[in-house]
Amino acid sequence: MIHKRLGPIARRQLLRRDLLKGAAGFAGAGVLAGTFPRLGAAQADEWTLAISMRSLANPYHATFAAGGEAYAESVGAPFEVLITEGNSEKGMADIRALLARTGGKLVLNVDPNDSPDARVIVEECQRAGAYVVTQWNKPDDLHPWDFDPNYVAHMSFDGVPTAQAVAEALFEAMGGEGGIVALGGILSNVPAIERKIGLDNAIAATNGKVQLLDFQPADWNETRAFEIMQAWLTRFGDDIKGVFAANDGMAIGALEALRQEGKAGAVPVTGIDGIEAALFAIEAGEMAGTVAWDPNWTGGIGLALGHAVATGKIDIAAEPHSHREFYGTGIVVTPANLAEYRAMDTSLDYGDFWGKSPGQIQYRG
Amino acid sequence: MASGSLAGQRNRFARWRGLAPVGVLLLLCVVITVISPNFLSFSNLVRLLSGAAIPLVLVMGATFVILMGSIDLSVEGVVALAAVITSMLVLNDFTGADLGLLAVPVAVVAGGAIGFINGFVHVRLRIPSFMATLGFGFAGVGVATAILGGFTVRIADRGFRELALGRFLDVPFSVWLAGMAVLVAWVIQERTRLGRWVYAIGTDEVTARHAGVPVERTRILVFTLAGLFYGLGGALAAAQLGQGHALMGTGRLFTTITAVVVGGTALSGGVGSVLNSVVGVGIVIVLTNGMVLMGIPPYVQQGVQGLMIIAAVALALDRSRLVVVK
Repeated sequence: MIHKRLGPIARRQLLRRDLLKGAAGFAGAGVLAGTFPRLGAAQADEWTLAISMRSLANPYHATFAAGGEAYAESVGAPFEVLITEGNSEKGMADIRALLARTGGKLVLNVDPNDSPDARVIVEECQRAGAYVVTQWNKPDDLHPWDFDPNYVAHMSFDGVPTAQAVAEALFEAMGGEGGIVALGGILSNVPAIERKIGLDNAIAATNGKVQLLDFQPADWNETRAFEIMQAWLTRFGDDIKGVFAANDGMAIGALEALRQEGKAGAVPVTGIDGIEAALFAIEAGEMAGTVAWDPNWTGGIGLALGHAVATGKIDIAAEPHSHREFYGTGIVVTPANLAEYRAMDTSLDYGDFWGKSPGQIQYRG
Repeated sequence: MASGSLAGQRNRFARWRGLAPVGVLLLLCVVITVISPNFLSFSNLVRLLSGAAIPLVLVMGATFVILMGSIDLSVEGVVALAAVITSMLVLNDFTGADLGLLAVPVAVVAGGAIGFINGFVHVRLRIPSFMATLGFGFAGVGVATAILGGFTVRIADRGFRELALGRFLDVPFSVWLAGMAVLVAWVIQERTRLGRWVYAIGTDEVTARHAGVPVERTRILVFTLAGLFYGLGGALAAAQLGQGHALMGTGRLFTTITAVVVGGTALSGGVGSVLNSVVGVGIVIVLTNGMVLMGIPPYVQQGVQGLMIIAAVALALDRSRLVVVK
């Protein structure tokens, strides 16, 4: 509520400072969670809220955790952050320890390290009587309605239309035609595949006006992107009219390679994820767009929905499938709507679980 | 008579073997140029140099550690921490600091401090360098994460960024700086006792000890030296990407160790030199650049890279000195 009275930028700053202060505490909590049973913390009548995710070292997950914490604070519930460090075994061990410690009175909002982990986590939660919401990664044949009521929901973002939309923003910045180069993620990875499909769709829709000169996976890594962009400048030179990157980190890497040649701003670049560095590059006229996910929303609403089911406010088994597996909204941010995006109200209505969702999750064979 | 000619043959082969990495590098350049003549254009050579600057600085540190028969896996952690420290000390959007180029020596010293801790723990607590450096590498990323909470510091200091963006004789300053790092490393290797001790320890630590080489002190010094170079690498990474965050070092470890080994420095210690590592960086950078130029499909690239590493090591390895292979 305090946040409401501040301007949007100040609010972001505040969020960021809070996070910085909280980060060390989070890390400590993660370590402790698996080690010591905390005396007296788990009162029988209180639900513990927890977030499990890969790392605090990237903005997406740091904001995801902050969203969860804000909800826990709003209801005064105990809150934990578990970090998998990219290790599925550690992730599951920490969840088991927390299930044991809370006696199953747990609402878990988890971004599983790997798709197969989701099944194990859901089964463990059901056995313990806990409630779980999953994010991004799960096997296609694992559905919340098969584990009523404990597997509350699965939330994700659809990479195909968002990548297509940001690619279209790139083409527009290029004047609608010319050659582009594209940097992808690790191609065994669902978001990377979806974003590539979205790009291909956008290119196909130009009827040959835009050509893909080359596509290289840069492993989501900015240094790799920097090196590949350098080689592209040699190979294609001025034929490159635009650069599409499947995440903002790679977009920044490519942008810095362009800057070294004095071409920053002359060749439009787009990314995906909506990190601050990308927003500033858009403001500086050096990037043509990005897609802002809403990890604050997935973190907060994921826990709010699980908590509502756990406390009997919602009968989740009676909800339609579109309320059990649903997408969040990715916002395409371009120079045209940057100011509007920055001014957007980021406070959440914890009673509105599905209002921001564009629909049910699609499975693409 | 027979044994004499065999020894002669071996000698000739040994001389030829020392040049194997250079041969590999030249062969690569020829093949790439034939397929994609742009490779030898001046602007691409400058791009290659600017891409090589940070790896060069990093391998200067790693080479001494490997020459000693140890390994240093802390590269990514130290680079990340040094980059974060640098980004927080120059004009930025996160702290009020504005030290400009003075941030570079601070980052170098910070890197050296982690290197010293690496060496100290490795020597005094007798923890294998593999584990000690792995642990402190993770700790470096952890500290950087704790400082920033997953966020990125944006560098607003144009003067500082000139390190990567500014040019002298059409070549970025970072490349000149890397050249100086190579010179310093070469002088240490060739002209100081420390350099000779490193070879002595790497060749046979027991004999070195009997000969009066202060093994413990040398080890700690070498890890500290490595940390200083990584610290400089981190500062340059911050200048190149204009930011600092906890994952800035990602991917650097693989490039660094690969470059050292491909250059012909043996992981078993005692064989190699900083100049070998310069050639090694050349091979790695030329290969990365060349495969994109030649349009080799991404997943074939990984395979080619792996095969190149094995081929280069196989060519450079002096099997007559190997007692066991483990």
